[in-house]
Amino acid sequence: MIWLTWRQFRAQAITAAAALVAFAILLVVTESRMSSLFAASGITGCHGGACPGAATRFLIDLSSGQTFPLLPDGANAYVILYFLSVLIILAAPAIIGIFWGAPLIARELESGTHRLAWNQSITRTQWLAVKLTLIGLAAMAVTEALSLLQGWWAAPIGKAVGLGGSASIMSEGRFGIFIFPTHGITPLGYAAFGFALGVTAGLLIRRAIPAMAATLAIFAVVQFAVPLWVRPHLIPPSHTIATLATANVTPNGGPSIAVTATVIPGHPGAWITSSGAVNATGQPVTAPAACKSAIPRNLNPGGTRAWANCLASHGVRVSASYQPVSHYWPLQLAETGLFLALALALAWYCFWRLNRRLT
Amino acid sequence: MTAVIETEGLGKRYHKLWALADCSLSIPAGHVVGLVGPNGAGKTTLMNLATGMLAPTTGRIEVLGGRPAAGPGQLAKVGFLAQDAPVYAGLSVADHLKLGAQLNPAWDGELARRRIGQLDLDPGQKAGKLSGGQRAQLALTIALGKRPELLILDEPVASLDPLARREFLQNLMETVGEGQVSVVLSSHLISDLERVCDYMIVLVDSRVRLAGPVDDLLAAHHLLSGPRRDPASLPDGVQVISASHTDVQSTMLVHTTGPVLDPAWTLSEVGLEDLMLAYMKQAGGGGQRQRHLEVQK
Repeated sequence: MIWLTWRQFRAQAITAAAALVAFAILLVVTESRMSSLFAASGITGCHGGACPGAATRFLIDLSSGQTFPLLPDGANAYVILYFLSVLIILAAPAIIGIFWGAPLIARELESGTHRLAWNQSITRTQWLAVKLTLIGLAAMAVTEALSLLQGWWAAPIGKAVGLGGSASIMSEGRFGIFIFPTHGITPLGYAAFGFALGVTAGLLIRRAIPAMAATLAIFAVVQFAVPLWVRPHLIPPSHTIATLATANVTPNGGPSIAVTATVIPGHPGAWITSSGAVNATGQPVTAPAACKSAIPRNLNPGGTRAWANCLASHGVRVSASYQPVSHYWPLQLAETGLFLALALALAWYCFWRLNRRLT
Repeated sequence: MTAVIETEGLGKRYHKLWALADCSLSIPAGHVVGLVGPNGAGKTTLMNLATGMLAPTTGRIEVLGGRPAAGPGQLAKVGFLAQDAPVYAGLSVADHLKLGAQLNPAWDGELARRRIGQLDLDPGQKAGKLSGGQRAQLALTIALGKRPELLILDEPVASLDPLARREFLQNLMETVGEGQVSVVLSSHLISDLERVCDYMIVLVDSRVRLAGPVDDLLAAHHLLSGPRRDPASLPDGVQVISASHTDVQSTMLVHTTGPVLDPAWTLSEVGLEDLMLAYMKQAGGGGQRQRHLEVQK
């Protein structure tokens, strides 16, 4: 069965290996400029207040002045590379679900070859177990390899962003909605889930192309919903109420107060999952009447500061729910575990259906 | 000898339609069994139930004493050539033999290679590029290579031209003759089966109409012809399968357990094809009349 699985999977495996090698070559070739700019930036050995400046300078240097032969003039090669490399890891589980998962059973049912495969001296359970295990592990390995490569390549960017640097799209920290699911161990969970989702869709729909479309649609919904509604609650967030600072206020030209916590005092790098304006007792508040005259008409810094001062002096404070940096690995574990559990549940359902609801 | 396939009240329903209903059979071992019936009669359903590709809605089925597809041991005992002879288009002939070897502990590689050699198939050829006949032969080789006790062939010659049909069946009989294999094969063409089968099952409208060894079936059926008369006037124990009348004469195909003694009738033997066609026709247009006759009898 291992031989047959390999024989049927060979072409896809070679394609994946080629894609992985191309990805690695691209990153290895472009890494030298990244590390030499980083070395020259003065980030290493910076102290206190000098760090964010040095970090931002590095990111600006990195994202300017370098174009690739194939890209239009002025397109910043490293911005595009950074964006694409993250996107590839984000899309890999969906692609695997579509091209490895969905056809796995659907193609057999479509071409009738399941009647050949399931009439050898091997049960369907064995047949599916070998296929799911081998290809599922390959899916996880490929996705995690992409992630590790990108993580190595983008390490200087990660460090700079962690120190408060920001330029172009290079501003997301480890909790960023594109960064969190593409680094650490979460790619393992997403890959297993994407693959199992594709297999299940193929088994239920019984035709490869519609199953591929369904896989893509469902995976996209899950990838969209998880950072918004699931991830913040995987581990109970911490809460704090802090004094309002200018940085917390976004003028929106109206009496409602757009208050957003941007940093949590004492918890640099924390992921703020929700925040808002509250009074001294922690109740949500609108702008006090006394401050209405101070509503800034435009985005000038002086007006914003005056408004923030007025709000603060009338007892408006900022409340925030957040995941501190110490929650990073527990959250990674929880999200990976969630997706591995979903993948196992789908696999279990496939086994059940293959044996109970026969063709 | 034990039964190779034994069913009791077996039925399979798709939504509201019964593909096979109330099927009770006991097929003894050592036969080449022909399963005949018009398209949609339930032949494929019965075969899929026997191989465990389908689960029954009602009743039970045992194949070689076990539940179909119950485990590797049961799967190893039954060779199945599914309808349209499915093979992997992207895999070569040699790959298919390797597939058989990898998935079947009792695989007879020598037999498989010899067959492929005799059939003049190129081992490097992709199965998708084979002709219909070659594909059927390749699929049959895999089914035979696992050395089954029972070989089930669903319309194995349907896609073949007349010459290839004859060759396929001849080749099948030669191969089967070598070992102790029981065979069940289906076709909607009686002429395909007449030559090779010594046991027949006629399936019409999801029901078994007739089943038994060919010799017994022929011995129990007669063609009666004589002056025109009402079929109801026939003695007990004589069942009319089909009847045709002219103004003065009646011709009837009857099933009888004893001799027909009435001197008014001329008795003649009936051919297997005519016999089975009569049963199929009876179930089709003449079903109403048949029931009527049975009541009178």
